[in-house]
This record gives sequence, C-alpha cells and structure tokens, in this order.
Amino acid sequence: MDTWESFRMAGKTLAANRLRSTLTMLGIIIGNASVILMVGVGQGAQKYAAQQFQSLGTDVIFVITGTDNARRNVIAPPNRLVLADAEAIATQVPTVRSVAAQINGSELAIAGNNTKRATLIGTTETYAIVRNAEVSTGRFFNAEDVKRNSRVVTVGAAIAKELFPQGTAIGQTVRMRGTSYEVIGIMSEKGAFLGTNQDDTIFMPITTMSSRLTGKTSPYGVAVAVINVSATSNANVDAAQFQISNLLRLRHRTSDVNADDTFTVRTQQDALEIVGNITGALTIMLAAIAGISLLVGGIGIMNIMLVSVTERTSEIGLRKAIGASPSDILTQFTIEAVILSLLGGAIGTGIGVGGILLIAAVSPLQAGVSVGAISLAVGVSGGIGLFFGIFPARQASRLDPIVALRSI
Amino acid sequence: MITTNAIASTSQISDSRREIVRLENVCKYYGQGDTLVKALDDVSFVIKEGEYCAIMGASGSGKSTCMNIIGCLDSTTSGQYFLDEQDVSGMEESDLAHVRNLKIGFIFQQYHLLPQLSAMENVMLPMAYANVKPKEQKDRAAAALERVAMGHRLNNRPNQMSGGQQQRVAIARAIVNNPVMLLADEPTGALDSHTTEEVMELFGELNTSGITVIMVTHEADVARNTHRIILFRDGHIMNDCLSPSELNR
Repeated sequence: MDTWESFRMAGKTLAANRLRSTLTMLGIIIGNASVILMVGVGQGAQKYAAQQFQSLGTDVIFVITGTDNARRNVIAPPNRLVLADAEAIATQVPTVRSVAAQINGSELAIAGNNTKRATLIGTTETYAIVRNAEVSTGRFFNAEDVKRNSRVVTVGAAIAKELFPQGTAIGQTVRMRGTSYEVIGIMSEKGAFLGTNQDDTIFMPITTMSSRLTGKTSPYGVAVAVINVSATSNANVDAAQFQISNLLRLRHRTSDVNADDTFTVRTQQDALEIVGNITGALTIMLAAIAGISLLVGGIGIMNIMLVSVTERTSEIGLRKAIGASPSDILTQFTIEAVILSLLGGAIGTGIGVGGILLIAAVSPLQAGVSVGAISLAVGVSGGIGLFFGIFPARQASRLDPIVALRSI
Repeated sequence: MITTNAIASTSQISDSRREIVRLENVCKYYGQGDTLVKALDDVSFVIKEGEYCAIMGASGSGKSTCMNIIGCLDSTTSGQYFLDEQDVSGMEESDLAHVRNLKIGFIFQQYHLLPQLSAMENVMLPMAYANVKPKEQKDRAAAALERVAMGHRLNNRPNQMSGGQQQRVAIARAIVNNPVMLLADEPTGALDSHTTEEVMELFGELNTSGITVIMVTHEADVARNTHRIILFRDGHIMNDCLSPSELNR
C-alpha cells in the first residue's frame, strides 16, 4: 500500500470516528495554542519593555552608588556619590551633553483635605532634558530655583489630579513635613514603568530637598543616589561610560586598577540587556509550562490509539488476512496518530495566532506571531504524534491474525 | 494408510491439473509435555485446481487449524505445505502476507467488511495492498461486484446492506485479486436458509468458472453442494471422499 493510499485510508477512518478524533486532538490543540500564545505574549512583553526603555532615551547613562556586588552585600554602600561628582562629570567629560544628579525619597503630600504618599525626586533643572520628561502645564524648575533652594515643585499628573481635584494645581501649595511648596508645573502623563510611576512623583530642586527634607549630606557635599547622564550621541555612549568611570575612579581615589569601584556606570543598553534576560527567561518558562500540556496531549493520543487498537482488533485481523504486512499495519496506525497530532497542531496554531492578534488588539503588548514558535510547535506536535503513535501501532502490527479474526 | 487414500482419491480426478494445496506430513502441536495438544497429526492431502472441496469435522477435530495453515495464517510444527506449487512453510510474516494477498481469497462467517468503507472501497482493499493503480482498482472492483450481482450497490456502506449482500461483497473482495483459491470459513453460518442457498449457488457458479473453492463447515447441508469432503477427527483425516453420498455411509 503506498503512502498516499495510507493517508487516504487513515483520513477515512478518522472521519468515521469524528467525535473521538476531535477529542483526541483537543489535547494537542490546547497544548499547541498555549505554546504559541505564551511565547507570543512573552515576546510581546520583551518588546514592550524594550520600547519603554527606548522612550527613556537610548543615550542615557546612570551612575549609581556602589557596585552590584556591594549593593547585594551591604545595606548602605559607603563612599556615596555627591553633587560635586555630577558637576565634575558635566564639566570634565567631553562626550557628555547634560547631567542631572538625583536624590530619591518618599513623603506624605498634603493639600487642603487631600493627602497622598508621593515618590519624591530631588534633582537639577537638567533632569527634564536628560530623562525626556515633558511638562504639560507650567514649567520645570530652573537653575535659579536650584541655586536659591526655592520651595517649588513640579508634580506628576496623578498627584495634581488627586491633591487638586478642582481647578488647576499651578500656583497652589503642597505641604510636606510642615513646609509649604509652590506647584509651578505639572508633568505629562507617562504611566508606570518597572515599579516607578512618574505620574505619582513630585520633583523638587535637589538643594531644597537635601536641606529641608533628607538632610543627607556626606563630608564631600550633598550625597546623591543616581547621576543621570546623557551622552552627546548614541555612538558616544560607550566612550562616555568609560570616561565617567575613569573620572570617578580618580575622584574617589580608587586608582588601583584591581580595586573595586565604589559606583556602577550603567548604560541604557545594559539595562535593556538585563530586562531582556529576565523577560527571555520568563518566555522560556511560559513556553515550558505550555509544552507540558503539549506532552499531556501526546499521551492522550497514545491512550486513544491503544484503545483504538483493541477496539479494531478484528479490522486488523481482516487486513492481515487479505494481505496487509506488519509494516502496512504499523504505517497505517502511525499515520493516523500523526494526522491527528498535525491537524490538532494546525488548529491549535490557528487558535494561538488568533489569541495573539486579540491580545495585540486590546492590550499594549504587541504580542508577536513568531514563525519560529509556530514551526516548533507544529513540528513538536507532529513528532509527538509519531512518538506516541508508534507504540500502539507496533501493538497493532504484532497482532496474530488468527486471534484478531476470532475476536468479534 | 490414510495418506495413501487421500492421494489416491485426488489422483482419480485428473493428474494433469495444477496442485493448489499440497500438505505433506503436516503436524501442528500446541503446548509442551503433559499439556501437548496434537491439533494436526501427520496430515497429508492434495487439492487440485478447480476442485470444490469441503473440510468438515467437529470442533476440536483440527479443521480450523488445518484451515489456518492452508490460509497461511499459521505455521506448521513439522511437515511441508506447498501452496500453488510453492513451499510456504517457514516463510517470513511479511512474505506470507504477500502470499495471502495474491493467492488466497478469504471469506468469513461474519463477512468482516470495514464499516467505514463503501462496498467498492472494501473490494478495492486487497488491491491496495497489492499496489494496483487506483484506476485499475476501481475497474476491477466494479467488475468483481458485478460478478456477484452487487453491481447496483457500489457505494453502499455495509450497514446499508443485508447479510447476504454483505457476504456477496465479501466474496467479491475475495476474488478481486484473482487468487488461486477461495478459502471460506463457515460462509453461511450467519445467513438464513434462503440466503444460504443463494450464496452456495454463487460458490457453485464461481467453481464452475474454474476457481478452486475450499470451504470449512460443520453443516452437512452446505457440504452436500461440494464435490469432495475431507472429514477431520482428532487431528487426523478420518475420511476423504469424492461425493457427499459417500459421507452418509
């Protein structure tokens, strides 16, 4: 019996048992759909995270106090970065366009009867340039405000809405720890990203914040948590990273080549890689979980095929009597299993792709239909059909025709 | 003595015809030691081309074992079996399948038609295993069904046909590969007396046209239609006679 004939015969048999064939395929359908959907969602999340980082500006460099290792081992790494470091970077590193030092905090903000816990960022007027932060109304504080320790704030969109539900926030005052600050600007809405939400943030001059709220000063001046730096161009990011490292090593007297740095200079590219690694691992994990359901679907096929062999004993006996060789029977049952799994794989792929398109339509996740995931899932389901189909098919091919014919 | 009888009786018909079945001292044992069962014990006989032969016997007499061996479904413990002058004892399973496909047309009590296939497709099945081209398969299947007077039910499924009709389709399936013999196992066991007569008539017609027919049955009425009866008892041939009237004595 040639292969085409075998396929035709298998198709007829499967079509004759439509309900059973459908139920058998269901496992593979679900498995395949979930693999494609999960991989798609994972890749969508990866793309989304990358886009968010891109929106922060690809030329941004962060200088953070302490090394990764030190931050892991010590609660408060010593030898903090100070405001003077930021000024040194701005004036001495040629590939740097703009620098904004930053202190982080959290305060209860009060305006009239409304209160809200807000993230507090004390920084310089250059922050808006370095971090692509846009002001929707009013203005960001300027160099003069920083110089004079002015009690002015620029607030996030959500803060403005909650503290001043009626009317505009501009010109109003916000109280924090007993001091009043004038609202001079409202930031554009940006949404949450990686645990921080600019909309819930209050920005004030770094000098004001250090003198009135945090008081965190080191012997070398105002201690800062992060120095945001933007390079003159994307091409200069690596050069800037290198030059900043060297400058800070000199300033912090870690000239010994082998000594540990007291700071980390991280580019957006580094951060992107880290996020990529995390979301990549997440995607693999999702795919693995979905893969298990594919495996379960394969075992379902084996189960049904075994039942089918028992049920069709007399058919197998008849086929053998009229001239089917063991390999003919083996081929027939294997092809049936492969058709079931491939068809299930194709339907599952359709559902998976449909789900991805749906997700892309209703959520910001631009879940990608990955050709790799589809071919992998269909290939795997075909392989599963083959793998789990061969055992029952062998059982069938080994049946003794005399015994098989007798069982009616 | 029995052996000589068997050979002698066949030789009376004609010596020039081809030997379709030749069993030489065939034994078939099951089990070992104390539980040894001699299903066939030193059985020899010859069936020649064009014969119409019944194999009879009570259950446990060895007739079914004999049929399985003649049908190449079972192997012998010792002795040789020549089918169409070819030694098939000790052949591989896949070679035996090939032999069954081309040389033997099986007919069963329960018809054994595949329910998901039409009459036409059921008859095409043996040709599919013989790798006959699809076009030729259709032509030959139609011709075979025409020959058993089922030309009008080509596209019916088995569950749309009566028992007699199903058995006719099964006979068409058996003759479609032009086998050297038809091997029928209780072909009328599931049919009423009227249909039995019709089917037996069909067997008679096929035999008249030159096809060798071997029929395993325990019904004397059915065996009466044949030209030769081989009677088994306890694994031996008890009687091998040329006319049913001899059996009665």
